[in-house]
Amino acid sequence: MSFRETVKATTSGDRALLVFLVLISFAGIFAVKEALSHANEVSIEVDGRVKFRYPLDIDRSVRVEGDHGGLTVEIKDRQVRVTEASCPKKICERQGWITRGGIVCLPNRISVIVGGPEKNDGRRLDAVTG
Amino acid sequence: MQSRDKYRIALLSAYALALHGFESLVPMPIPWLRVGLANIITLTTLILFGFRAAMMVTLVRVTLASLFIGSFLGPGFILSMGGGVLGTIAMGMVLSLLPRIFGPVGLSLIGAFFHNLAQLVLAYALFIQRTEPVIIIAPILLLIGTVTGLVNGLVSDLLIKNLKKGEESLQNSVS
Repeated sequence: MSFRETVKATTSGDRALLVFLVLISFAGIFAVKEALSHANEVSIEVDGRVKFRYPLDIDRSVRVEGDHGGLTVEIKDRQVRVTEASCPKKICERQGWITRGGIVCLPNRISVIVGGPEKNDGRRLDAVTG
Repeated sequence: MQSRDKYRIALLSAYALALHGFESLVPMPIPWLRVGLANIITLTTLILFGFRAAMMVTLVRVTLASLFIGSFLGPGFILSMGGGVLGTIAMGMVLSLLPRIFGPVGLSLIGAFFHNLAQLVLAYALFIQRTEPVIIIAPILLLIGTVTGLVNGLVSDLLIKNLKKGEESLQNSVS
């Protein structure tokens, strides 16, 4: 019994199953790739530098110190919000829960950004001043 | 169980154990990646001697291999026990419910699929408990399992046919 005969002896069920599994796994790999390019990470920048990176799917709250006393970032159910900001206008707090984009606290020079790897979430800047 | 069956199970378990042990010595690019060579023996046993013998061989193989390697009751043991048992059950069920549709190759693919499924579920429930890495790894595992399942199935097919031939000639020479 040679190897070639063995290959010939496979049933059509065998072959269909093989094709099906290969297709499913490639479809799965592409689906995962697609899903991963979406926001999965929260990065917190202070003064333009990334200070913290957290996965979006683990609930937690973090205190971030800034120029104006800092603020607290809360991550829950894949949403992000700012609480207890020490800035005067509290625009960041009022923005509430976000699932994409970012929250900026200007007095503290802190930005909280929901996004995966920087290259694919449309965060490229048009211009930088100052 | 007849003594001849016991003898067969012991011999087949020894083969499976040897393959399992050999495989754990071969370095792999990813540490937990295995070809599952021992499944060749499980599948061959299933087709030639039935489900009970195959399950016995799997249980003996996983338990003894973990004792030899030193991972008995550890995470690796739980994963390979779960994978081995579910893979064997799946192959046995498909063989008894849909005997005509799949040959050894199809059965091996099914076994590899359920082996990986059980390991993923166990790893998620006991060790990782985060959905994300499991979802990322699942399709890659599925693809690798399909390739190794295909190879194992072809080898099993070859082995089964040669064993049958050997048995016939043996019986002819005895009688």
